[in-house]
Amino acid sequence: MPVVTFAVEGRDNCVAIGGSAYVYARTEHGSFVLSANCPHRGGPLNLAEFEPGRSRLVCPWHDRAASVTKAIKAGVPAVRHGDRVTAVLPDHDGAGYTLEHRPMSGALARC
Amino acid sequence: MSHALPPHKPFELTPERLKEYVVQYATNPIYLDNEEWENDDNPYRRQLRPQVLPYLDFSRVLPRSEILHYEGLAAQRILAAIYESDLMFLPKAGLKDKWDDFKQYYSPSNRALGEIIRPSLEKFAFGFLDQEVEVSGKWTKAELETYLRALEDRDLTQPTLSEIAIEKSTDPVRAAKTWLIQFAPDFLSEASPMLRNVLGYYGPAQSEWFKIIIDEYGYGVHKTKHSHLFERTLESVGLRSDVHHYWQYYLNSSLMVNNYFHYLGKNHELFFRYIGALYYTETALVDFCRRAAELLTKVFGPDVDVEYFTEHIGIDVHHGRMALEKLILPLVEEHGEVIIPEIVRGFEEFQIISDIADRDFADQIAWMDSGPANKELHAPVWEAISSGRVTPPVANIVEPYRELSNTHCHDGDELCHIVSGTMKFVAGFESHQILEAGEGTVINRNRLHGAIIESEECVYEIHSVGDYRACLS
Repeated sequence: MPVVTFAVEGRDNCVAIGGSAYVYARTEHGSFVLSANCPHRGGPLNLAEFEPGRSRLVCPWHDRAASVTKAIKAGVPAVRHGDRVTAVLPDHDGAGYTLEHRPMSGALARC
Repeated sequence: MSHALPPHKPFELTPERLKEYVVQYATNPIYLDNEEWENDDNPYRRQLRPQVLPYLDFSRVLPRSEILHYEGLAAQRILAAIYESDLMFLPKAGLKDKWDDFKQYYSPSNRALGEIIRPSLEKFAFGFLDQEVEVSGKWTKAELETYLRALEDRDLTQPTLSEIAIEKSTDPVRAAKTWLIQFAPDFLSEASPMLRNVLGYYGPAQSEWFKIIIDEYGYGVHKTKHSHLFERTLESVGLRSDVHHYWQYYLNSSLMVNNYFHYLGKNHELFFRYIGALYYTETALVDFCRRAAELLTKVFGPDVDVEYFTEHIGIDVHHGRMALEKLILPLVEEHGEVIIPEIVRGFEEFQIISDIADRDFADQIAWMDSGPANKELHAPVWEAISSGRVTPPVANIVEPYRELSNTHCHDGDELCHIVSGTMKFVAGFESHQILEAGEGTVINRNRLHGAIIESEECVYEIHSVGDYRACLS
């Protein structure tokens, strides 16, 4: 399991590894490491917004909704320290990782 | 007759009562200003500057951006005094004329007042960590172990900002002595915070915890006790080794480092946070101590006694492993994943505090080295003020011969301007400028300093310029 430290926001705010990508989301419901690819068809979850009045994130491609509460409690183990975050990512068959930038929706970039 | 109980109300201090008790605590005679820069073999004397405390607000959480402000220093000084009344200190040369101070420090009044204000001061001084560290996701034992073992892959061989500051200082000997002074509150009573978790019962992990302490305490042989090794280091470079001799030269963040472990140890609900912090410090200390021994030898020559540091190179390899394999992982196995976020949090929190202390020390050395330059900066800044180009708030002060302003810091830059008389302006250990009438110095924000009057009387002005650079344009 790779242990990766990356930026909470701005440059290098995304870990790309073995075809997957992870960003750090800071929402009104809590903060957590978010898979940037929707499990449905790979839509950009980093640009997702909340379902009005609910704590479910809606993928901008096909409107698939997912619970944020579950992602916080059962998601990728991570710790934010200041403006950096360290995550223990799932193993991707030993694949190396790169850091890159992904834009974040307003709902996922609340401080 | 009714037997109905009143509802339970948790203990809470109003801001007014907190201030009242803080002032009551700190006006104990042992905490008043000193007439000398250093304490003389008296572990009970700790200058808390109670005259300033009525103007400070400890009823909030000090934000990260203000952690080195004077309120932070004041809180850390008070917390150190409170925590250490749980420890046993005796003067090296015997109690003799310190009997009254001994009784005062360990008095029920001092301890009770300290306990009343401690939780509020802890929230004030360490509450910022709630914002700085945030744990999320589902952690298992396997992921925790992977995360913690990743520290072994981290390059910890590079010098810290503090070490670079010493090497590049205009006075490396003074800088290195100042460095050793910062370690004194921790190393002279080394492992005392750890002992707070020895009592009670919590199974095999308790005995593993105790094994680390046995090493720190030198197996009952005083000459191998780590605190004694550090006394020898201090004495080998001409520094005094009596407890809190250099109290006034402790930086805010140096006290914070030491107080952090007392904070975790005193509050047993933070036990798991403690073992996370313990793992980090024991693991990181191996490389740190290796570099420290080399640096001290380079600065002071071969006569400096660095056994304190070389001993840690050997033993902390084991302590890091023991903390992980004998404490952390078995405790997770026994108590479940619920404790993991606290372990992770302690591991990260101590790194943040260490980074704050590292930068603070490097900045202090730069400040001490800049004494002559800061004195020269007086002229252009004073010109901006005297010409009316800037109009900052000013305090007019008259002090008599030998009046000693115990060390403190300010939240913004200030200009000290001498109207008449002579002031010895002290920017740190063995660091001063003599200021005569018409002269002065820029005082940088957050930098520890003090002063003593060397003429029959000194009239001077303190101009709160905020950012002195704004006066130069």
